[in-house]
Amino acid sequence: MTPSRTSPARSRATLFALTGLAAASMLLAGCSSPASTAGSTTAAADGAAPVSNGAAQVKVTLTGNDCTTDYSSAPSGPVTFEITNTDAAGLSEVELMSDKRILGERENIVAGLQASSFTVTLTGGTYQLNCPGATTENSDFTVIGDATTAPSDVQGQLAEGTVGYGTYVEGQASNLVDAVATLDAAVQAGDVTAAQAAYAAARPFYERIEPVAESFADLDPEIDARVADVEPGTEWTGFHPIEKDIFETGAITDSTKALSTKLVADIAQLQTLTTGLTYKPEELANGASSLLEEVQSSKITGEEEAYSHIDLVDFVANVEGSEQAFEFLKPALTTIDPDLTSSISAEFTSVDAMLATYKDSAAPGGYKLYDEALRTSDAPKLTQAIQALQAPLAQISEKVATA
Amino acid sequence: MAREHEAREHEARENGAGRDNGEARENGAATGKDDQGTRGGISRRAFFGGAVASAAAGAAIGVTTTGLTGQAVAGAPASGQPGSSTPADETYAFYGEHQAGIRTPPQDHLVFMVFDVTTTSASELQVMLAKWSAAIAQYTSGLAVGAVEPERELAVPGDTGEAEGMGANQLTVTVGFAPSMFDGRFGWAKYKPAALNDLPAFASDALTPQFTGGDICVQACASDPQVAYHAIRNLARMARTTATTRWTVQGFGRASRSADQATPRNLMGFKDGTRNIVSDDDFAQQVWVGADSDQQWMTGGSYLVARKIHMLIETWDTDYIGDQHAVFGRTKLEGAPLTGTAEFDTPDFAATGADGNPVIPANAHVALAAHENNNGTKILRRGYNFTDGIDSVGRLDAGLMFISYQRDPQQFIALQQKLGRMDRLNEYIRHVGSGVFAVPPGLSAAGDYFGKALFE
Repeated sequence: MTPSRTSPARSRATLFALTGLAAASMLLAGCSSPASTAGSTTAAADGAAPVSNGAAQVKVTLTGNDCTTDYSSAPSGPVTFEITNTDAAGLSEVELMSDKRILGERENIVAGLQASSFTVTLTGGTYQLNCPGATTENSDFTVIGDATTAPSDVQGQLAEGTVGYGTYVEGQASNLVDAVATLDAAVQAGDVTAAQAAYAAARPFYERIEPVAESFADLDPEIDARVADVEPGTEWTGFHPIEKDIFETGAITDSTKALSTKLVADIAQLQTLTTGLTYKPEELANGASSLLEEVQSSKITGEEEAYSHIDLVDFVANVEGSEQAFEFLKPALTTIDPDLTSSISAEFTSVDAMLATYKDSAAPGGYKLYDEALRTSDAPKLTQAIQALQAPLAQISEKVATA
Repeated sequence: MAREHEAREHEARENGAGRDNGEARENGAATGKDDQGTRGGISRRAFFGGAVASAAAGAAIGVTTTGLTGQAVAGAPASGQPGSSTPADETYAFYGEHQAGIRTPPQDHLVFMVFDVTTTSASELQVMLAKWSAAIAQYTSGLAVGAVEPERELAVPGDTGEAEGMGANQLTVTVGFAPSMFDGRFGWAKYKPAALNDLPAFASDALTPQFTGGDICVQACASDPQVAYHAIRNLARMARTTATTRWTVQGFGRASRSADQATPRNLMGFKDGTRNIVSDDDFAQQVWVGADSDQQWMTGGSYLVARKIHMLIETWDTDYIGDQHAVFGRTKLEGAPLTGTAEFDTPDFAATGADGNPVIPANAHVALAAHENNNGTKILRRGYNFTDGIDSVGRLDAGLMFISYQRDPQQFIALQQKLGRMDRLNEYIRHVGSGVFAVPPGLSAAGDYFGKALFE
């Protein structure tokens, strides 16, 4: 991202540029209802889906351009949707929605492959079965029984996750304050070697929470602007001019010391601003994805750490920050879309394993220097690993949106 | 993977801007004419191979197939012929005995992409191939896969959108499997055709790692480059957790011909494809894998050989015309063999001049590649001109993306072993990229997918 110094003054910008979400009512799923005896099939009243093995059974068929169900209502309690794609080339996904929220879904139901199913526990009310691309995309699905407004497990898990993420951000900000203090001590003492080590140690705390920091549009450029981002006539401050002095020039001057003093103050301000912030689940999701955008747009190219070449340290920190945000959403996401969740987990595992091969305890920050030779040989491989992670990760925002 | 495969863009259909005009053409342009109907006794030369049209009268090309929505496929004019529909609206049937994009009259544009399969899970590969198959059915009908503009604010668009409203543009997408797919990763080892092996090294090869190797190739051809690129880009996108892009070539002008097309020129300025395969007999004997092969799943399939050939066009452009004629064994404007006067005259390799030397030099390209001098071997060439800007030493980076189809890669190997050693053209070309792929037969109907038999 390219923070601009010319942004109009404002307080905390909408986190992660999330805008325009419509409010939706809290019609919720997930409250348990007594299930019927396992193994039995109960004829349902009023043409509702029959209950078998404790769940109402609804068959969804994708054929041609159509998406049809054998029953359009079910008794409250667990409902299993079994989806078969006979020959619908353009259809491969079925979602159960309540207003705009996705309660359960199956993807990759491709013509020629096996049937797939998902089970959700529903209380009385009207839901929508959505088959993206079908002649009729949305059809109502009615659940007969008591409605409730008690929060579902999923809502509770999401709320818990956002609180947990807030604590994580505060922890990173606090560590950042300490690490920048160490850097400042080395700079004020004129110790270039110690300053280099302290610089590499401080950067990850910022990079892990970068989307949060960037939401403060006035402060972020003061802390993290690269020289190319600075408007002519404006002073260049923050980490990177200090980086230039201690890594490229190799000399600490009065100007370096002044920059360091200002950085300490700006980071203190960042800590104040991030303390007590609350987050929406979709902000965590968008933040997780935008950290991977950061990796692809400025780390993989070696632009971020142009003097120290510790881009891989930032790279790893971005991925760690992304993984943390994902982990806080994971309990709820596992309920909403278990396949996608395990796919993302597997991709994080594979990216983490790849990044581990770049560890180098002798290098500042603990990772190999990202010099031109390494970039030439390894950038395509790193790009493809990050793209493989970001593709599924970008899908979670709409699934956890609470609107 | 979420939405990549979700929705066809139904708005396009509803507002009349749909890219599907509801009619599909036969897999290979049924024109109702045979190729003898438009050209007499023919002998045609070409860049590689020197295949000759069969003397037997060819039947109407193509097999009767079933269209996407089940209707019988109607014939339509071939590319370049006047007709009631424009190329933007024209479609080629995706389902059929053979894959489209082989016998299909070469469209004007190519995007060729080779993927590495990164998953080790056979079921993930299976899902990817099934998704691709369904998606290709949509794209070749002029439809999107997934919403360009989803209703939900936080939804990521399924389709990237750049082909919206453009029409199918005769798009064909052809898929092939490299030998590496049969190395045991996916339980396919027992299905490996004996004929499918990495190509041997040839004399004068100058292969570079960035244009060789890979597991699966996808050849997208269309009358519009953006439509072809859209298909490849979206297939790459939906495969992102399963396969990565390894190398690609974009071709901007066809450099081969089918029965009803005029012979195009390669970047050396010479006609290419004069003697290309056009007849049913030649397709049956030289291109399609028969039921007698060691792997039944390949019946109706073919083998694709890809060679990215860099042309040293600056030096070629300083060569005098007499030498250019001698290099090819043909004239430049007409494309006639040096022993004839018209493009389709049969070359006479025995004719000698006043000095006692052959009129067509023995090391001329056409002489080395002609089936008369290769035990009757022919290959179907379906290449495209390409440019990749400026190369690392300051030359124009351009040439021929050579693609050939044959029932056994040995056909290409035998020809190239000879050409690589002796062809006078080698002074002006470098083979920098290479691949060989088993191209399975066409899919029967929705629900069938590439490699289905290999997962059983």
